[in-house]
Amino acid sequence: MSRAQTAGSRMAGLPAPLRALVVVTLLYLFLGGVKLLETGIKGLGSDFTDGLFEGVTNPLAGLFVGVLATVLVQSSSVTTATIVGLVAGDVLSVSTAVPMIMGANIGTTVTNTIVSLTHLRRGEEFRRAFAAATMHDFFNVIAVAVLLPIEIVTGVLSGTAQSVASFIAGGQELGGSFNSPIKGAVAWLADQIEAIVLVPLLPNDRAIAVGAIILGISLIFVTLAYITKNMRILVADRIERSLNAALGRSGLIGMVVGTLVTISVQSSSITTSILIPLVASGILLVRNAYPVTLGANIGTTITALLAALGAGAIDGLTIAVTHTLFNIAGILLIYPWPATRFIPVAVAERLADVALERRQLAIGYVAVAFIVLPLVGVILL
Amino acid sequence: MVLDFFRSGTSQIEEVETRLVTMLRDGRRVFDTSVAAVFGGGKSREAKSTVKSIDREINENQREVRRALMMSASVRGTADLPLILAYMSVVKDVERVGDYAKNIYDLAKYGVDFTTAADRDELEAYRDAVAKLLDEAAEVFAERNTERAHELVTKADRFLSEYNRRVKETTMSEGPVLDAVGRALYFRYLKRITAHVMNLMTSLFLPVDQLDHYDEDPDDRL
Repeated sequence: MSRAQTAGSRMAGLPAPLRALVVVTLLYLFLGGVKLLETGIKGLGSDFTDGLFEGVTNPLAGLFVGVLATVLVQSSSVTTATIVGLVAGDVLSVSTAVPMIMGANIGTTVTNTIVSLTHLRRGEEFRRAFAAATMHDFFNVIAVAVLLPIEIVTGVLSGTAQSVASFIAGGQELGGSFNSPIKGAVAWLADQIEAIVLVPLLPNDRAIAVGAIILGISLIFVTLAYITKNMRILVADRIERSLNAALGRSGLIGMVVGTLVTISVQSSSITTSILIPLVASGILLVRNAYPVTLGANIGTTITALLAALGAGAIDGLTIAVTHTLFNIAGILLIYPWPATRFIPVAVAERLADVALERRQLAIGYVAVAFIVLPLVGVILL
Repeated sequence: MVLDFFRSGTSQIEEVETRLVTMLRDGRRVFDTSVAAVFGGGKSREAKSTVKSIDREINENQREVRRALMMSASVRGTADLPLILAYMSVVKDVERVGDYAKNIYDLAKYGVDFTTAADRDELEAYRDAVAKLLDEAAEVFAERNTERAHELVTKADRFLSEYNRRVKETTMSEGPVLDAVGRALYFRYLKRITAHVMNLMTSLFLPVDQLDHYDEDPDDRL
């Protein structure tokens, strides 16, 4: 390679240990952001916050809010971490937040579906890419279609999550809090930010609370983006090796690899978007990419769990565990049974065949499924 | 498999680099077997099978390189794009070295035999020069040594002019047709192998858009 190429690709950026330190710092700031959000919400007082999410007590509206919010920020990690902060701050109840978390799962698939549209001009390539992207959509929609009604009627997911959260927190019930080494360090950071940045700049408590909310959400958004970016560079070799090893192996291996890759980069969109060009080029079959995608669903829940450990509220931890349980339950519901295992893939491949004939349909599908339908749903419900 | 995630190891790009060197060395093996056939051995079942099996290995390595580059591009995005594009181009050159070496074996198959050629020593000298060039190229690429790559390109450039001269001379000769055609093709294949080695070497110091032009007339090069 030319000197310029070598310098550009290999020498650019930080040495790995320094980059790892940057990631740890960003993670600390991310948790600080969640804590700031929680602090800000609490600072506004219950008379203000009680009415804030009244409109989304309808589970379908909550679901659509989750989809829209995630489509907007292009990251389910940001949405779920924010929801954890809102639940920890008592703005959202666990039961209201559950459909939102499920909506975030659906919304996050928009990223790789958009990535698949970049192959539009090359027929076969596009067909494979679009099928690989939309199988994730269909899997998540089927999981929500089955599990949301069950959750509304029985509360089985949030109930189990509450028991798990209570166990982790040493027997605390909903509404309580728990201590963790992370929580103490994060609370200190949030206090410092408030004292050094917000208090000198803002005139009263309400303004400080609003400032904390804005700064908290901004920190969540920015730090997660940079954590993902840096982790992707840090673990690129490992991702390449493990994905190579998973190609064509058993579904379970693919799932574990998908989970590990997503935990490491803190983004299911990154994992699934990596798969799209591989499937498009024919190196990876849609059916081999499928379990990796499901693993990504589980891996992405780590962000909300981290956020909950930083926030230190049982309710926040409950919603984060619900997110994990929902994704595991979705896989157990569909994947182990030969009759249902490949339904999402088959539907996605059928849609891809149709979209190959009428390519405007692919763009229409993205617009309707991820924007129009949720928007209409939120307005009407 | 899953544990690969936790192990440290080489990147896809480093594996590609290793494979390219292996392909070049395999190309040298095909070349050795092929020239041995035109310099005395003639066609043989064993030589044919050796040439075919090494060529299959080269082709499989080419596919592996492309798969690895695709994986790298998917995982790393644009970070290594110039490198990936350069290797995608270079792998074709390295594969062609094997192909042209195989074509020399085909000459033996069609009856070309330099065993009793009056200028055998000279023909062998050209053979040795290409063999040495292949060895040096593998070494230089493995080290990513841009300084030696420049030297090798200059040296190979001289070979190209010499092969061109010999092709021209042979086509105008009045000797037996089989001998003239055999010689013309022999020099033509040596020239192509040399040109592909030059492309590989130039990829160590030229930008991507300027690759693949070193087999052209010096006036037409960028």
